[in-house]
Amino acid sequence: MSPAPWSLHLLSEVLAAFTVGSPNALRDVVSRVAEAVDAEVTAILRGERILLCTGLNREEQQQLIAARPQRQGELDLAVGQLHLFWVPLDGDELLVVGRFREAYDLEERALLRAMGRSIQLSTQVLAAVKAEQEAMRAEKQAKEAAIREATIDHLTGLPNRRLVLRQLAERLSCGRSRSGIPAVLFIDLDRFKQINDAHGHRVGDRYLQEVGRLLRDLIRSDDLVGRLSGDEFVVLTTTSGLQEAGDLAGRILWHMHHQPLRVGGRRLPSSASIGIALATADDTPETLLENADLAMYSIKERRAGGYACFDQTMRQQVRERARLEAELREGLPRGQVLAHFQPIVSAAHGGVVGFEALARWQHPRHGLLSPERFIGVAEEAGLLRELDTVVMESACRQIGRWSSAREGILPRLSINIAATSLADPMLSERIRAMLADSPLESRQLFLEITETTLVEDVASSFRNINELKRQGVRLAIDDFGTGYSSLRYLKRFPVGILKIDRSFVDGLGHDSEDDVIVETVIRMARSLGIEVVAEGVETQSQAGILRRLGCHYLQGYLYGHPAGSACSEALYHQSLAGLIGTAIDAG
Amino acid sequence: MTATSPGLHPPQVSQPGDRWVKVSGSTLPDDDAAVDEAMAGILSSGNPALTIIYCSPAHDLTRISARVKRAVGAGEVIGCSTAGELSRSHPTNGGLLIWAIGGDGFRVTTGFGLGTPERGLRDAAHEAALCLERVERRQHTILFLLADGLCGDQMEVVRGAYDVAGAGVPLIGGCAGDDMALQSTRQIHEGTLLTHAVVAAAISSDAPMAIGIAHGWEPLSQPMLVTESRGTILTSLDDRPALDVYLDAHGAPPEARRDGKAFFDFAHTRPLGIARRNRIEIRYVYGADFEKRSLSIFAEVPQGAMAYLMKGSCNSVLDATAEVCALAESSLEGLPARGFMLLECVARKSLLDAAGLLEESLRLPTVRPEVSVGGFYTYGEIARTEGSGGLHNQTVVALAIA
Repeated sequence: MSPAPWSLHLLSEVLAAFTVGSPNALRDVVSRVAEAVDAEVTAILRGERILLCTGLNREEQQQLIAARPQRQGELDLAVGQLHLFWVPLDGDELLVVGRFREAYDLEERALLRAMGRSIQLSTQVLAAVKAEQEAMRAEKQAKEAAIREATIDHLTGLPNRRLVLRQLAERLSCGRSRSGIPAVLFIDLDRFKQINDAHGHRVGDRYLQEVGRLLRDLIRSDDLVGRLSGDEFVVLTTTSGLQEAGDLAGRILWHMHHQPLRVGGRRLPSSASIGIALATADDTPETLLENADLAMYSIKERRAGGYACFDQTMRQQVRERARLEAELREGLPRGQVLAHFQPIVSAAHGGVVGFEALARWQHPRHGLLSPERFIGVAEEAGLLRELDTVVMESACRQIGRWSSAREGILPRLSINIAATSLADPMLSERIRAMLADSPLESRQLFLEITETTLVEDVASSFRNINELKRQGVRLAIDDFGTGYSSLRYLKRFPVGILKIDRSFVDGLGHDSEDDVIVETVIRMARSLGIEVVAEGVETQSQAGILRRLGCHYLQGYLYGHPAGSACSEALYHQSLAGLIGTAIDAG
Repeated sequence: MTATSPGLHPPQVSQPGDRWVKVSGSTLPDDDAAVDEAMAGILSSGNPALTIIYCSPAHDLTRISARVKRAVGAGEVIGCSTAGELSRSHPTNGGLLIWAIGGDGFRVTTGFGLGTPERGLRDAAHEAALCLERVERRQHTILFLLADGLCGDQMEVVRGAYDVAGAGVPLIGGCAGDDMALQSTRQIHEGTLLTHAVVAAAISSDAPMAIGIAHGWEPLSQPMLVTESRGTILTSLDDRPALDVYLDAHGAPPEARRDGKAFFDFAHTRPLGIARRNRIEIRYVYGADFEKRSLSIFAEVPQGAMAYLMKGSCNSVLDATAEVCALAESSLEGLPARGFMLLECVARKSLLDAAGLLEESLRLPTVRPEVSVGGFYTYGEIARTEGSGGLHNQTVVALAIA
C-alpha cells in the first residue's frame, strides 16, 4: 500500500485546521498545526510577546523569544535540541514550529512558508471571531449576573421573593399533580432580633446562612427554599395533604430545637414559627404566600416554635384585626383610649397609697375594651408609643389633680411602659414635658417595665433610664420572677419597686414553693432597699401572709378592680379621709 | 506498526535507589474480600508510593476505592473503571487489579480535573496535569493519565495535559471503560469516585521509564482525504459519505448497514488509521448515523487529514502485544524492567477473544517471569512520545519501569 505523500498530508491538514470553528479556536488551531506537522512546539509570537505556545515551559519560552531576532534554526533545551522553523505572518508576527530529532526538510519548509499568508488571514479571522465570542460571552455573563442579582438573595444564595413567586407560579400552573398539591411553608425565625442585638449583625448574617443551609438539607430535591426578607424563609413543596406538610414542618422545628446552629464557634439556639398553606384552584402565588404568612402569624401569636395550617377563619380574623387597627388609629386622637386605675394599698395600714394606671379603650361599638383586645393591634400598627403617651398624659393629669387637692399627701402612679417606648430617644424629654404640665411630681411616678424588657433592650434604653433617674422618676419591675431575673440589673438601674407576679401570690398558703419564692423576693428586695408590691391579692389570707412576710404594698381585686377616674378619685379620697393624720410618704 | 520512545532525556548514569513494581488482583465478587486479597499481594512489598486501581464496574467502586485508600495510608491512589483487567496470569472481566510502585527511588504526586460532556476534558486534563508542578523531580519523569472514556474528544485529554507537561515529559495513560456498556465510566482519585474527569499521577524516578506503542493493524485502502469532519464525527471521505465508503470498502453484511448493534460488532475490529509523518495512529469506529451517513469515532479525526481503512489479523495483534513490552524495555538505557503497565484497547481483546486467543496474548515471551505486568482494557490509549499528539485507539501501549 503506497503511503500518502507527506507534503500533501501536511498541506491539507494544516490548512483544514484553520477552517474548523471552535470556542477556543486559536488554541485549538495551534494544537492542530503542531499535530499535523508532528511538532513538539508551536507558537505564535508578536514582537517580543508570545501570544500562544504549546510544548515549552516559561523558561524555554524566554529562550524562544531570545532566538527570534536571528530566527535561529536550533534551540538547545535541557531535554534536547529543538529544530525550529519560522513562518512570517503579518507585520511582526511569526508562527514557529519546532521538532526534536529531525529538522524540517525543504519540502516541509516550502509548504509551511507558502501557507504563511493563509495562516495569517486565518489567525486574524480567528482573533476577530474570538473577540466577538468574548464580547458575546461578556454580554451573556452580564445578563446572567443581572438575572442572578434580581432573583437570588445575596446573603444566603437562596432564591429571593421574586424567584420564589415565579417558581410558585410555575408550580401552581401545573396544579394538583400525581405527586401532590403545591404547598408553601412560611418560616419566621423566633427571637432573631435578640441574636442580632446580642452578637452583632455579622453573627446574625451567618446565622441566617446556617438556617438556609439547614432548610436545604431538610427538604427533598424537588422542593425549593427561599428567603423572603429578614428572618423570613419559605419552602415550596408538593404534598399529599396537610399531614405530610405538617410532618415537614415538624421535622424542621425538631432539627432547629435539637441541633443548635454553629456560628463562629458559638452554638446558637434556633426556633421558628411555621405557617402552612396548600394551594387551591383559585390561588395566585401572592395569595398562597399570604395564606401561609397568616397561618404563621396565627401560631406565632399563640406560641412561638410551632406550626399552623391556614384556614379561612384566619383571613376573617385578619380583616377584623385590620378594622380594629383603623378604628384605634382614629380613636386615639379622639380620646377613646383612657386610663383606668387600680388601687395599691399599704400592707401596714390598708390605706390607698397610689394607683396603677391601665389603658382602656372606650370603643364606640364594642364598649369598654381591655388591653388584651387591642395592645397587640397597637404594637403591630406601630401605635404603642402613641398609646403609652396618651395613657400616661391622662393618668398624670388626673393623679396630679387629686394630689393637689390634699397638699402634702402624694399618691403614687405606676404606668406600664412598652419596650419600644423605653427605647424611644425622646421618652425622657416627653416625660419631662409631661411632668412640667402636670401637678404630679416626678417622685410620684413609677414606670413599670418587665424584667425581660430591661434585659433585652439595655443598650437602647440605658440612656433613657439614667435620664429618668436624674429627673427622679423610678422604675417598677413588673411580673418579677417570670422572666429573666438578673439581680445585676436591680443594682444597676433605679429600681424603686418590685412587683411580685400574681402567679406566685395565687399559691400563697397552699404551695410551699410559692411561699418560699415570695419570702425570698421580699427579703432580698428589702435588703436592697427596694419596696415590694404584691399583685393579684384576692383573699385576706394572702394579704395576711404578705403582711407577715414584710411586703410593703398590696394590689388586687381584694382592694379594688380597675376603675374610671371619678370612681378612683372617690376611692382615694375616701381612703385618705380614713387616714387623716397619718402621713403617707411616697418616697 | 510499532513505535517506541527512549524519552527525550540525555543519557544519564543512573544509580537507582530502592524501587519496586507490584501487580496483584482478585476475582472475588465481594468488594471487601477482593480488596483485601489484592492488597495483600501489594503490601507485602511495603507501602506503595502510588497505587492504581483498575476495577470492573461490577464492583462498588466507592467501596473499593475507600478500602484501598485506607489500606494504603499515606501513598497516592488513583484508578478507573475498566472494560476488563489484564495481568500476567490471565485477563479478567468483573475483577479488580492493583498496580503499584514503591520505594525511595520514586516520587509521586497526583491530581484531578473535572470536565463535562459539553465542554470536554481539555481543561480537566490541564488541571490534573498540574500535579507535575508539585512532584519532587528526579532524573526521569512521566505523566500518567486516566480519563473518562465517554466524555467528548479523547484527543483533548492529550492536548490539555501537553499544555502543562510540554515536550520534556512523556505522557502515557488510558481512557476508562465500563465493561462495554458505553454508558458511564468512573475515575478514582484518593478514595473519591469521579466521572467526566481526568486523574493524573506525576511519577518521577531515579531510573528510566520508557513507553512502547504497537497496534498490529495494516492499511486496507489507499489513503483518503478527510473532506468533512467535526470533532469525533466523520462525515465524508474523499467527498463521499463516510459511512458508505466504510461499509462498501469492508464489504459489510446487510445487518451492519441498518442496525446499530450489528454495526458496532462489525466495526469493532475495523478501525481507521490517521496518517502522521512517520506512523499511522489508529481510531476506533464505534457507531454510525444511518441518516446522516456519518461515523462516530472515539477521538478526533482531523478534517484535511489522510485516513486509511485498516485491517488486522489475530496474528498481527498477538505480535503487537508480545512486542510492545520488549520495545519499551529496550529504551531503558540498558537497565532491566522491574515492571510493566499495559494499556490495551478493548477492541483488540474482542478480536482475540472471538478467536480464542486471549490467554495467548498475555504470555509475553519477551518478559521475564518474575517481572510484574498488569493493566486494563481501555476505551482509548494515551502515549505521547514525539510530536504533540498521542491519542491512540485499538493499540497496545506499555510503560516499562527500570
